[in-house]
Amino acid sequence: MKNKKITIQEAAELVRDGSRLTFAGFTIWRKPFAVAYELIRQQRRNLHLIEVGGGSISDCLIGAGCVSVYESCWVGHELYGKYGANLSRKVKNREILMEDYSHGEMMFRFAAAAAGVPFAVSQSSLGTDIHNPEYDMLGRAGLRDGVKNPRSKYQFMDDPFYNGGKYVLLPAAKADVAVLSVQQVGEEGTVRIEGQCYCDPTVARAADITIAIAEEIVPESYLRQDSHVNTIPSFEVDYIVECPWNAHPSGMFGRYDVDGDFLRNFFQQTRSQEGFDAFAREWIYGLDHDSYLDKLGVTRLQRLRANTVLKYSTSRGKGK
Amino acid sequence: MSLNSDYAKPEEYGLADLLCCAAAREVQDNEVVFVGTGLPMVAILLAQRTHAPNLKLIFEAGTLDGRPAEIPTSVGDARCEAGSSLASGQYDAFSVAQRGYVDLGYLGGAEVDEYGNVNTTCIGDYLNPELRLTGSGGNPDINSFAQRTVFIMLHEKRRFVENVSYITSPGWRLKNWPTGEWVHRREMYGASFRGGPSAVISTLGVFRFAEDTGRMYLDTYHPGTTVEQILEQCQFKLDVSRVSGETAPPTREELHLIHDVLDPEEIFIPKGKKG
Repeated sequence: MKNKKITIQEAAELVRDGSRLTFAGFTIWRKPFAVAYELIRQQRRNLHLIEVGGGSISDCLIGAGCVSVYESCWVGHELYGKYGANLSRKVKNREILMEDYSHGEMMFRFAAAAAGVPFAVSQSSLGTDIHNPEYDMLGRAGLRDGVKNPRSKYQFMDDPFYNGGKYVLLPAAKADVAVLSVQQVGEEGTVRIEGQCYCDPTVARAADITIAIAEEIVPESYLRQDSHVNTIPSFEVDYIVECPWNAHPSGMFGRYDVDGDFLRNFFQQTRSQEGFDAFAREWIYGLDHDSYLDKLGVTRLQRLRANTVLKYSTSRGKGK
Repeated sequence: MSLNSDYAKPEEYGLADLLCCAAAREVQDNEVVFVGTGLPMVAILLAQRTHAPNLKLIFEAGTLDGRPAEIPTSVGDARCEAGSSLASGQYDAFSVAQRGYVDLGYLGGAEVDEYGNVNTTCIGDYLNPELRLTGSGGNPDINSFAQRTVFIMLHEKRRFVENVSYITSPGWRLKNWPTGEWVHRREMYGASFRGGPSAVISTLGVFRFAEDTGRMYLDTYHPGTTVEQILEQCQFKLDVSRVSGETAPPTREELHLIHDVLDPEEIFIPKGKKG
C-alpha cells in the first residue's frame, strides 16, 4: 500500500508556481487555511485559482500576491465582510485577471470534469452579462490555448433533442490540484465528511491530484465498516494530511464554528495592501500551524468548539 | 393577514422588522423556497413558524428541506442541517433548481433596473470598475430557475437605475448573446421559462412587475414614506399607477418570533427602532 501521509509543508509543495489550484468547502466553511498560509510562506506565485465558489481563503491567497488568474463566481466573508477587499483592490489595479461565471455554472463545470466529459450544458444565467463575449477575460489576454484553458468561455446551442430552446455549453473545469478540508480520512484515502458535503466529492474526482487535509486520520477499517456514510472513495485521494483545526478561521460541521471575529478583522484590516501585509506578518510569516494555534490560544479555540450533539458551538454570537 | 388587530405601532418595530415580515408574506404554504444568507433566512423561518409550516427550505450549500432550530449565519453553516431531509452539496441544490422544483427564491442586489435585472458584480464599467463586489454567487442560477424571485434591497437613487452596470441576475428584459440584442425573458428561456422576478422589497416600498411588459411598478409604500419620495429615489420613470396602499406593518406575534425565538442574538435583525 502506498503511504499517502504527508505534512502540510509537503502538501503546499505539490502546488507549483503556475498550478491550477482549487479548494473544496463553502465560503467560510471547511476551507483548508493551513495549506493556504503555507503556500503564502512558500511564496507561491502565478497560481490559477479555479473554484466552484470562493471565500475568505481565496481573498487571503489573492492578498498575498500568489494568484494571477482567479476563475470563479463569488468572494466575500458572508456576515463578517461584505466583499473580498483584496480581490476587489487587485481587480481595480489590474493586478489579477478575474474570470466570472455563476455559482451553478462553476458547479456544473466541475461536475463535467469529474465525469470525464469536455463540457456541461445548462440554461443558467442566459441573457446576463456573465455571457457577454466582451467580458471573456482569458480570451482578451490571449490565454485560451485549448489545453487547460478552454478554447472559448461559452458556446451556445439549441436543444437538439427536445426543442427546449437555447442552452449554454460550459467548458469542464480543469484543476491540477484540489485541496479539501474534511473531518476524517482513512490511511488509504477514504474520506468521511459530516454535514453538507458542498462541492467536495465532485472537486476531488475532477482534479489531477487530490489532497485531503483532515482533522484526524482514522483506521481505514473503521470507515469501511459503514461505507454507506463515506463521501469519497480511497483511490480518488492521492495524499492525506492530519492537521487539527486546519480550517480555522473557517468552520467545520461537528468540530468548530467559524471564527467570526477573526474574519471581521481580516476584512477590515486587509482593505489596503499595507493592511494585508501587516496581517500576514502577524498571522502567517514566521509561524507554522502549531505556533498559529498557540497564538490563537486554548480559550479562543474552546469557545469555537462544536457541541458534540448539536454539531455547532453554543457560544457563537455577533460581537462575542 | 388575519391578525389585523395585532399590528404593531410604528414605535414598536424597526425597518428590518418590516422588511422581514414583508418578505415572509411572499411565500405560500407547501412551496419550495431557495434562501440566501441574511435577512431572508429570518423571513423564511418566520413564515415556517406562521402561515407556511409546510414550506420546503433549500440552502445553496446543499441542505434540502431544512428545519433549522437556530438561525444559521450563512448557508454553509452547521446549523443548516438540523432537521433536514438531506444534507448534500451545491450540485444537488442547483440541479433541483434547474429541474424546476423551486417556487420561490430570495435574493439581494446592489443595483436593479426597471426590468428587474440585478447587479452584484461591480460598480462602474466591468472592464475598469470603480468597485468590484462579491460577484454573482448563486444569484443568477436561482433567478434563472425559480418560478418567482424576491429581491431585498437598500433603496437609494444610485441603486434604482436605468441600466445596471452589469447584469448579474436575469430580469424580464435580457440580452441575447452573443449578439446582445434585447429580448423578453420568455423568448430567452424557451421551454424552461417558468417566471422571473416577482417583487423587490426595498427600504422604501414593495415593487412588482407587470405581467406583460415585465416593467416594475410600485405596489405598496412603507409606513412613513410617500409615493413622491419613492419616485424621487428612482432614476427610471417608475410606474405608480397601481399603488395598492401602505405596506402592512409587522404583527406583535411576528415581532415576538423574530426577536425572542429566531434571532435573539440580533445576528441579522436588530431589536426595536434601531433596525
